[in-house]
Amino acid sequence: MMETLSALGGGFAVALTPFNIMLALVGCIVGTAIGVLPGIGPLNAIALLLPFCLALRLPPESALILLAAVYYGSGYGGRITAILLNMPGEPSAVLTTLDGHPLAKQGRGGAALAISGIGSFVGATLSVVAMTFMSVPLAKIAVAFSPADYVALIAFALSLLGAVGGVSAPKAWGAGCFGIMLALIGVDSGTGVERFTFGSLEMLGGIDFTVLAIGLFAIGEILLLVETTMRAEAAKIGGGQRLTAKELVFCLPAMMRATGIGFVIGVLPGAGASVASALSYTAEKRINEGNGKFGQGDMRGVAAPETADNAAQIGNLVPMLSLGIPGSGTTAVLLGALLMYNITPGPLLFEQKPEVAWGLIASMYVGNVLLLALNLPLVGVFARLLSVPASVLYPGVLALSFAGVYAASNSAFDLIMSVVFGVLGWLFRKMDIPLVPIVLGFVLGRMLEDNLRRALALSDGAVSALVESPVSIGLWVLTVGALLWPLFLAFRKGRA
Amino acid sequence: MIADRLLGLGFVLVGAVAAWSAWNLVVPFAADPLGPTPFPVTVALILMVCGGLLVINPTHRFEPIERKFAPPLMVVAMLAYALLMEPLGFMPATALLALAIALLFGARILFAAAVAVITAVTLWVLFDKILDLPLPKGILPL
Repeated sequence: MMETLSALGGGFAVALTPFNIMLALVGCIVGTAIGVLPGIGPLNAIALLLPFCLALRLPPESALILLAAVYYGSGYGGRITAILLNMPGEPSAVLTTLDGHPLAKQGRGGAALAISGIGSFVGATLSVVAMTFMSVPLAKIAVAFSPADYVALIAFALSLLGAVGGVSAPKAWGAGCFGIMLALIGVDSGTGVERFTFGSLEMLGGIDFTVLAIGLFAIGEILLLVETTMRAEAAKIGGGQRLTAKELVFCLPAMMRATGIGFVIGVLPGAGASVASALSYTAEKRINEGNGKFGQGDMRGVAAPETADNAAQIGNLVPMLSLGIPGSGTTAVLLGALLMYNITPGPLLFEQKPEVAWGLIASMYVGNVLLLALNLPLVGVFARLLSVPASVLYPGVLALSFAGVYAASNSAFDLIMSVVFGVLGWLFRKMDIPLVPIVLGFVLGRMLEDNLRRALALSDGAVSALVESPVSIGLWVLTVGALLWPLFLAFRKGRA
Repeated sequence: MIADRLLGLGFVLVGAVAAWSAWNLVVPFAADPLGPTPFPVTVALILMVCGGLLVINPTHRFEPIERKFAPPLMVVAMLAYALLMEPLGFMPATALLALAIALLFGARILFAAAVAVITAVTLWVLFDKILDLPLPKGILPL
């Protein structure tokens, strides 16, 4: 306890330097703006900013403070679009449209925006507190993990890809395998052999993570958007009655439950903010059955999913920091960012690089206060972003993506590679292939092989060593369960 | 349905090429118990199984492209940008790219030209002057 608090104090010493406060503020503003704009999610934004961090040689803790602020800031922005436009600014804001947009139409858009902003703050801040006290104990357990345990843990994280979220399991796993393959391109660190380079010199160093992320997410998304140039009309924020203290108190129990649901779902690998917000909305609807007008503009129907969304986003960071295993696409990109700095997140991070781990956690307290302060009064400014025409916005986003890629590598070849991945990302979206498994596979693939190597080196090549410890046996059982789960679902559906 | 089958075949093909390529790797000296081959071959086989499942049991239709010409034109514009960036310089190439993209997003020509100039100059000032990240100057005397 005291140990944690003093470590957190050290984190605040990092987070409260003027430079890092400024970065957190920039990240919060960019994050909210990104969340507002439909089509550009936090993943794209982080992919877009990562080359800047590298090219500017930001220290790792500062880069992480900036990128993480974009990540949790986007959770504040998505709701604005959902409430005013009846269209999620980011995927996890879908549920917010259900009650948020009716409220806006009734002239209470301002109140809906206020309660969702406060909900976001409550969910995020309470989750940061939980994270503060959970990360080190979790890391202490994970320190004892052997390479064989890690092999099982990564296999489990990958197996979950097909078991969650209504995507077809073969597509999700196939995409994960494809991501692993991409990661293996280049010189193999273990044996010095060239793999999958097919004689190309440019491929020797492997595929750059920023190029992959910008291509798949930023460029692929814009290719999808250019197919339709339609834009929706935004509802007015409205002068109607402001949020009352009574309404706030009325929503508090829902916010508390949503924080719990969101954080727990977030910590579990595989399930992300979308699942958490859907689950908490359904829970509120069920708990308050008979009293409330869910679907027609209930304040709790706005507060719950927004709180859960932000709580889950923070929860997602826990396995990423303490175990080094990302649970979602965006945390995979954050992990990729750390790897580019030659920092491997995981149990040792808190001991070896406390300024990175604790600096990040402390900056999230600061960042969420900044976000609340930005979002309550300035919501109108952010909402005005929705009236920027596509023909101004997307040329700028695309040019910024390319400039970032070029500034980080000074290579025209990387520009071409990012276009190639952009086309792939677009085609994959059209074919309903989830992109998140590709990034997760890319980040986890090399880790999986490295740990497999270490495990076999320790056991002199005996494969049985992979299933010797209780931890690894338990994780393998869970992995098999996750692999069979889609089959079970299909079977049940077939019988019904 | 056909799109899923093609995708499945694509997975099988990529997996087969990768497995064959990894299978034929020659290690000059064996110091490592795993070697470079087993891991990629296993992943490739799983990819092929996933592809096979998609061929047998396709679920999804390829979503029809609404504006058929826009995405390919955008790809051409982006590839041209990648090739022109170094010879032309950042500002002219970016202006051309932004012009093309703005037109594809339905802007009128004069408006698109304004977007192009403003985007190119803003990014140049941001990168070269404020952030001090040098970009190719190219043909402009800067």
